[in-house]
Amino acid sequence: MTTTEGKRATYKQRYEEADDGLRFQSLTYTGNFVGMEPVTDGIKGDKTMKSRARSKVLEKVSKDDVLRDEFTIDELNDLNNYLAWNIWDVLVMRATEGVSGMIPRQEYEILAFMHEFYRWPEILRMTTAEVGGGQGIMDIGATARREIGTKVNAVHDWCIGAVGFGMGRCGLLALEAIGPDDYVGESNEILKFMQRVLWGKRQDGYILNSQDRYRCRIHEEDFLQQLTGQVEPLENGSPKHAAFTQFNAAAELLSFLDHYDCRLGLGDTGPYELPDGNLLILRDLFVNEEVFHWSDVCEDAGLPHCYTLALVVDPEKMALEEIRVNDISTTFTRPKNYIEAIVGGAVFAREKWNTPMGEVYPIKIDDLGEHLGRVQQATLKLYTKTSRMCRRDLIWNGQYVYYIDMILPHLRLAGTYDKACRDYDLWEIDQRVANYYYDITKRGFAQETVPSKIFSGAGYLPFSDKASLRNSKGRWL
Amino acid sequence: MADVLAEGYNVFDTAKSPSGTVKYLESPADVIGLIQSGRLAEHILLVQGGTTTFLAPALSMGAIGVITMSGAPESHLGILSREFQTPCVMTAHLTSSESRYVVGNTDPSHFEEIAKALDGRKVRLDCTDHEVGRVVADD
Repeated sequence: MTTTEGKRATYKQRYEEADDGLRFQSLTYTGNFVGMEPVTDGIKGDKTMKSRARSKVLEKVSKDDVLRDEFTIDELNDLNNYLAWNIWDVLVMRATEGVSGMIPRQEYEILAFMHEFYRWPEILRMTTAEVGGGQGIMDIGATARREIGTKVNAVHDWCIGAVGFGMGRCGLLALEAIGPDDYVGESNEILKFMQRVLWGKRQDGYILNSQDRYRCRIHEEDFLQQLTGQVEPLENGSPKHAAFTQFNAAAELLSFLDHYDCRLGLGDTGPYELPDGNLLILRDLFVNEEVFHWSDVCEDAGLPHCYTLALVVDPEKMALEEIRVNDISTTFTRPKNYIEAIVGGAVFAREKWNTPMGEVYPIKIDDLGEHLGRVQQATLKLYTKTSRMCRRDLIWNGQYVYYIDMILPHLRLAGTYDKACRDYDLWEIDQRVANYYYDITKRGFAQETVPSKIFSGAGYLPFSDKASLRNSKGRWL
Repeated sequence: MADVLAEGYNVFDTAKSPSGTVKYLESPADVIGLIQSGRLAEHILLVQGGTTTFLAPALSMGAIGVITMSGAPESHLGILSREFQTPCVMTAHLTSSESRYVVGNTDPSHFEEIAKALDGRKVRLDCTDHEVGRVVADD
């Protein structure tokens, strides 16, 4: 932390109305706004995107708005544009990472995107009906306000719309499998589901963290106090600090690996300002997802479904300029290194996805060593197991991580997961997507087209003025 | 002034400046072999991709420094190296070469050139700058 000595934290300026935030990257976004001033990342980008909307759907919306059956074409286009920018904002730099050497992620991602767009609408429609309508879906979102270790979180909820609708439709458009005015009704189904879950969770009128200057402060005060009561003080450089941060990193790594190198395995909320001025980040690390067959090594290691870490950061210690908890549940700061500014921590474990909150238990930092050993053991076993899998298995396993896990928490809470498996063949691969398996490696589709169309925001074509809200796809020609 | 062999994105600024012999890892078998050799702490790891699973056990078991040929601090490997406090230079390019990484459009010769130049060299990572990480000759 030699570079921040003598400086003061300025991050609160980011929450002033006129402030445009910092730039975290030098790239700019164009999307469907060709010929207009390019859009930046961060708070300024959010303001620009809101100013270009034709409807009010990107402003704070009411419960009645959310309960309305469907979006208008203008609202659909505003959401499409905003999600495309948001995807670019959080993923354009991540998407520079190239080949994995382990898991063919670009390949499984694009298959999952398209599979979701085709298959989710009827499953989400069924789920909405089973819980009695839109209010039931909002209630599912609201459960996250008083839980930790829940996958009803920013990244999963965002994925419903940003991935299932946004990237799925974008990928199919790029593959020329659909036209811009196809599947309007299905698009509405997916986006309404997303809006309801997110609105129910946030309850401040917004749905995305980027609309609220990258804050995801969803927990009730009394609930937070139960967690902060377990926080132990930590001093940078001490063995206890090292034990806590080492465990955070190792468990986060396993959560990535168990979820095939994607961010569905972790979920941050916050920042919550504590009475002493420090900031709290709550981090769920899902190290054992029972629905994945390869997670048996995590089960064998005796790992819980989720570890939740409470990280207390001293903003003055790092001269914090900006903190973002973005919509894929990941925290980024300027300066970048917040680890040395962690001054307190606590760890909790939730054994199963449905373990009652009253049975979630704290783990003392002095006792983390044994848990760390189990995490490392599972990591090595899962790595060895994964390295022996053939390419096809890796791609379809990864596809399932996206296509199943992104809506799994919502179906579980709705009680419709078994019905989706039994009556809707959830785990079957649609024939159309099965055939795309052979197309995605041709002409660099996964390696070049996907990054250029999906992560750069260039392929999110709008619905036309002629599009009917009832449009599905009438013909395959 | 020490000879800067390569530069890239600095994932996080740190006073840590690990030194070791560059080990280019091409396959999961290479990663497992290095861990089993017990010599993980002697090496700065060089990998092509910026994803995290490929290096998973090496990170977990205490890698001292990482160089990648693609990716950014927002990539999964960037996030994890920050969490592990493992200094990491991403999308490194040789200072002696004009060749640069372009997403989805990089000839394999780009990666081969970097691997050939760095593999086996004794280097030190300089990650004190906010944005630029440097691979410095240490032999």
